[in-house]
Amino acid sequence: MHAKVEPEVKRVSTYCYQCVNGPDLLTVETVDGVATKIEPNFDLKGEHPADGKVCVKPFGLVQKLYNPDRIKRPMKRTNPKKGRHEEPGWVEISWDEALDIVADKMNATRAKGVMDENGNPRLAFTTGGAATPFKYMGSFPALLFAWGPFDQSLGAGGTVKCYHTEHMFGELWHRAFTILPDTPRCEYIISFGMNIDASGGVTGVRRHADARKRGMKRIQFEPHLSVTGANAAEWIPIKTKTDNAVLYSMLHVLLHETPMDKLDVPFLKNRTASPYLVGPNGFYLRDPETKKPLMWDNNSNGAVPHDRADADPALVGTFTVTGAIEVGADEETWRYDRVEGATGLEKTRQLLADKTPEWAAEISEVPAATIRRITNEYLAHAHIGETEIVDGRELPFRPVATVLGKSVNNGWGAYECVWAHTMMQVLVGALEVSGGMLGSTTHVAGDTDWERSLTVEAGEDGFMTHTFTPTDKEGWDANPFTRHAHNSLTPMGGSKMGAQLFGSTTLAWLRLQGRAAESWPKPNPPDIWFVYKCNPAISHSETNRMGDAMAEFPFVAAFAYTLDETNHFADVIMPEATDLESDQLHRIGGGHYMENHWESEGWALRQAVIEPLHEAKDFSWIANELARRTGLLEAYNGAINAGVCGIPLQTDDYDFALEPDKEHSQDDIWNAVSKAASHDLTGGKEILDLDWFRQNGFKTRPYSRLNWYLYHKLEDLGLRFELPYQERYFRMGKQLANRLHETGVHWWDKQLEEYKPLPEFEDLNRLWDEIIERNHDVKAADYPFWLLTGRSMQYAWGGNVGIQLIKEVADNVYGHDGVVMNAGRAREMGIEEGDLIEVTSPVNSTRGYARLRQGVRPDVVVMIAQFGQWKMPFAKDLKRPGLNALVPMNVDSLDGGGSSIDGTKVYVTRIGAGL
Amino acid sequence: MTRYVMIADLNRCVGCQTCTAACKHTNATPPGVQWRKVLDVEWGEFPDVQRLFMPVGCQHCADPPCMHVCPSTATAQREDGIVTIDYDLCIGCSYCTVACPYQARYKVDKPEFAYGDIPTENEAIQFDERTMGVAQKCTFCSDRVDAGVEQGLTPGIDPEATPGCVNSCIADALSFGDIEDENSNVSELLAENTWFQMHAELGTEPGFYYLWDREAPEDMQGDMQE
Amino acid sequence: MSNTFGNALQTQWDWRAAGNFMFGGSGGALILMAAIASWPGTPNLVIGLAALVFVGLGLFLVWLEIGRPWRFLHVFFHPQTSWMTREASVSVLLFAATFTGVLMQAPSLLAAAGLLGFLFLYCQGRILKASKGIPAWREPAVVPLIISTGLAEGAAILSILLIVSNAAQGWLLYLLMGLLGWRLVSWRNYRQRMAANNAPPAALKVLDGIDRPQVILGNALPLLLLVTVIVQPALLAPLALLACILATAGGWLMKFTIIAKAAQVQGYALGKLQKGRPAIKPPVRREKDKFVFSRD
Repeated sequence: MHAKVEPEVKRVSTYCYQCVNGPDLLTVETVDGVATKIEPNFDLKGEHPADGKVCVKPFGLVQKLYNPDRIKRPMKRTNPKKGRHEEPGWVEISWDEALDIVADKMNATRAKGVMDENGNPRLAFTTGGAATPFKYMGSFPALLFAWGPFDQSLGAGGTVKCYHTEHMFGELWHRAFTILPDTPRCEYIISFGMNIDASGGVTGVRRHADARKRGMKRIQFEPHLSVTGANAAEWIPIKTKTDNAVLYSMLHVLLHETPMDKLDVPFLKNRTASPYLVGPNGFYLRDPETKKPLMWDNNSNGAVPHDRADADPALVGTFTVTGAIEVGADEETWRYDRVEGATGLEKTRQLLADKTPEWAAEISEVPAATIRRITNEYLAHAHIGETEIVDGRELPFRPVATVLGKSVNNGWGAYECVWAHTMMQVLVGALEVSGGMLGSTTHVAGDTDWERSLTVEAGEDGFMTHTFTPTDKEGWDANPFTRHAHNSLTPMGGSKMGAQLFGSTTLAWLRLQGRAAESWPKPNPPDIWFVYKCNPAISHSETNRMGDAMAEFPFVAAFAYTLDETNHFADVIMPEATDLESDQLHRIGGGHYMENHWESEGWALRQAVIEPLHEAKDFSWIANELARRTGLLEAYNGAINAGVCGIPLQTDDYDFALEPDKEHSQDDIWNAVSKAASHDLTGGKEILDLDWFRQNGFKTRPYSRLNWYLYHKLEDLGLRFELPYQERYFRMGKQLANRLHETGVHWWDKQLEEYKPLPEFEDLNRLWDEIIERNHDVKAADYPFWLLTGRSMQYAWGGNVGIQLIKEVADNVYGHDGVVMNAGRAREMGIEEGDLIEVTSPVNSTRGYARLRQGVRPDVVVMIAQFGQWKMPFAKDLKRPGLNALVPMNVDSLDGGGSSIDGTKVYVTRIGAGL
Repeated sequence: MTRYVMIADLNRCVGCQTCTAACKHTNATPPGVQWRKVLDVEWGEFPDVQRLFMPVGCQHCADPPCMHVCPSTATAQREDGIVTIDYDLCIGCSYCTVACPYQARYKVDKPEFAYGDIPTENEAIQFDERTMGVAQKCTFCSDRVDAGVEQGLTPGIDPEATPGCVNSCIADALSFGDIEDENSNVSELLAENTWFQMHAELGTEPGFYYLWDREAPEDMQGDMQE
Repeated sequence: MSNTFGNALQTQWDWRAAGNFMFGGSGGALILMAAIASWPGTPNLVIGLAALVFVGLGLFLVWLEIGRPWRFLHVFFHPQTSWMTREASVSVLLFAATFTGVLMQAPSLLAAAGLLGFLFLYCQGRILKASKGIPAWREPAVVPLIISTGLAEGAAILSILLIVSNAAQGWLLYLLMGLLGWRLVSWRNYRQRMAANNAPPAALKVLDGIDRPQVILGNALPLLLLVTVIVQPALLAPLALLACILATAGGWLMKFTIIAKAAQVQGYALGKLQKGRPAIKPPVRREKDKFVFSRD
């Protein structure tokens, strides 16, 4: 007998950040140096809201490592012709050659100037996953910063696939890039299609499960019964794109059918702009001297500035004010001796006067009695008047929330819905308080995406500061800086570091295809396009035309793990180390992102569980090499020292800075970041190096729950949430209209109409029919179905369509392998379960197998959005229908913020029996 | 004594399949073999529809039909109720498969891998030839349970002694423990909640309980209700 | 309407397993019939071997199906409760008794073989009944159905062999008529019990699909032909032969269908909500593996 050799088993701590809900810590088991198992990190039990668990996606990472379809070494294209049907002629090359090709191109481009003749950056960078790939790029962002201006407008799906309107207005109103209920305390949630059990990550799923167990009720309005709807107290199959009607009627019930004293009157008076008086031109009536907005004071029976401490402001009504001014667009000023002013809340009441539940029922097919009942249950659960002490501070306790899902909170109608659901919070005082609705993360309002409370500062008119892109004569930029012209067209995106991400990616692609913005020159494609961890040729809209634009790009450098439909157009492909092969230190915990508020915060290391396979390279190594070869080393090191890797390496308290003129290994970089991070976290008590993090995985400290809320911050500063009336937005829209019209731009007029101080109801179904008929030679009536998508927790953001394990387990969830449609409607059309059907939109058609369900409206079909591959190994053989190919791109479908929805009108035909 | 059972709280489960994937990692099962999986169930008629997610797998019955029919004694039961398969005894007749009312058993006749005939490195190192041509199913991760108990740990409480699916569950829907201990986590959950067993009418006395708070319509409640 | 969901057709036991029930069942009964027919003598070698060929073919087909064929001896390890072990054990004795009985012309051994043939048939019925995962098999009415059809097939095949060797026995045809009648009643009863117990709709549909051919061609027509033979003995060779072939084919069709086509699994279900701590039944293994004749 031979002695049995025990295999060497190790467990390594790392994290998964494939989606915005991360990073989620996990451990990987290796056996004799081979990664075998993903497991939770139980050391986080009690600290992490889901006790250190990870979701299904990271379980695909082991296969991702050993996937035989991986790109194993760098490759260059040998066929100069680009096109979907052109074979690129890949040949493998050394890293040296690959890096030289890219560096030479960068050097040559730099010699021409970083901006092209149109004033657009010559270098463009695209990634996906709601920018989470930045968390995988090591020090590469420092290289981009060292380079200078670069264009991020060629999106992979942002503004179509994101919560765009929520991002922009959410940040303006309450620093909420995304919103979430205070789930651990919330009692009643009204959800319009927010599929939180699929999109809320590990912590979202756990907290909602705990909340249900505790008795929290969730009412789910959505056209098809999602996985979230499955666990809701009630599913209400609302007609597609009529959420605005139901929300408005709920506000009607609160403002016209409920006595005012049942609402949160102190909150409305003191923490909102409800009492601000609005003049005849739609702008606030202001004190002529101080220009402060005026309120009507019941105590003095006269108008007083908004910050008068002893005032008792009137909430509703119209008042005659003596001596006031209105300031409109471009400083246009009206002076009044006597003028009628209605409060912002009065204006709101007027807007909603005829929006009764009966009116909404006609539009939405939700019975009026249901709307009334739910609104009143919501009100009853708001506990108006109650408070809770959180870490010594008394906060209102309002455990109710109204939340929105994708394609409700972006595209046409989203302004109405986002405003209305936030108003549902405002009327009962449930915004940024215990139990109510919270925000998470700032990208528009601040450069920190980590601690949003740091962005709460006193700004004008008693509101928080906010940085819109300038629209005044001096500040406005007539020249689109990026190809989607975020600086010229979409001022709500602000002017901070992330501003580019809020421009309309659809517009960028439309312009590159020569089908938008006709008064502007067609932009040049970027001289260099870096593309990483995304596949816009599959993930954007009208995907059959995306390749047309990409084929014209002169130089595309793709960092890639497998071949796909986008790097099919690349000139050089470089295999980067995957999730389990690379290093990066990142923040964890705090109040970051949706459903992810922790009571601790700290740092965690993603580390190579095994050495990178084949010739894959860590991104920081790639960045180092390119920095040296392009002569950007000093600026690159400078960017790292300044904090691009997550934290500055040099402050008044510590100095771990890298020597600027030397090349530093990736270990040196992360060692310095580890020390800076631990110093910052422990107030200098502990300085932990990279090896410490390799051994221990993470370091945390307590994070007060008080930081989850903003209410007390505003109270301390005497500030108000900028609701209900949107004076600044209204003024900005007027100014933008002036600027655009002055420069001969009239193709954005429909979008400009959205800039109203109070969003007016629009019949979105009619609007869609009009858009279809205007842009395509078809009759809208021929497209009787809405094609919608359902969030797949297994696939979303994972870039994992080529992973067999993910496909296998995702197939257990209905709809992944076909087109979901209503069983009754299907049978009327002669369609049986499993039949092959064709779904046709005004721009394309696709085929799939009918999956008949009862939990979907008869006028809706549903497809998962991740499919449609024709190049990616494994994925292309799945032959599954993809929604994106069917969603049209056109300017008409873009709303004022430049976003559009992730759906379209379609018709369905039976092709034949299935397999 | 000890009898291990599992509980799935259907009020918590969101059908994410994390347990399915974790089971596949923990037990290195080949493509298509899912000792643990979650069903996506729907009943009713539009618009009165209920959708629910239901983890299934071997129920580790107190009176397991699979064991009684097994001609080779490969399928056995431990004193703690865990139903086991001895891969070296099993002849692969599949009688257990047709005797099991829970579709819990699989048989794979030849090696199958995620990406065709050649195993990936992780598959190669975990491949166990003994599993070819024999019955296989959920073991309640008895190897983990035993190793944990040996270290003085409590199955269902300490992760090192707990089945992989339970460890992985992000909704805290799966629980594991000793039902014969009145104070155990599982005993408490059953005492505090309404629950059902699948196909209880068949007399198998499943060691798998479902917590659920809504009365399902009769046509979803199985045959021959007592 | 079934009260479960996910009632897929099992595919673990396919035509090979069905072959065992078809041929093995016929063979077991054939020995019984041959033993009775030849009592107090012994049947000739051809009939004895024919029976063993049937049983052997059935077992061979099962052997083809199992995943670890070279471990086939493990099948004998669990006589305490497994009807498959019992069937296999009976088959060994059956082979031994038949073979030696025929070779040595020993009526007592043949009588034992006949009894074992019947036991073999009975085991097959119980194998199905113990398959709790398959509603079409676990139905208790399957046992008389398997026995009645096996006996009918045995009598029919024996008649065929006797007729072609010009040794037809009239009483055997009367017996066959009786068995066909029993089989018909068993079939109707089985169908009715299946429907009453909410069998999967797909299984019922499959069974309905063979109802007519089975009832008319497999039972009614052979009965009619045999009645004709009674009235017109001159037509015995063609008509009785045809009747016996139809009777056998009808039985095989029925068994093939039940094993390979109507074997939808139990499916999943929710259950009636219970409250409070459950009454706990200890694992049966704690009582050790006692010999249990019937667990149902």
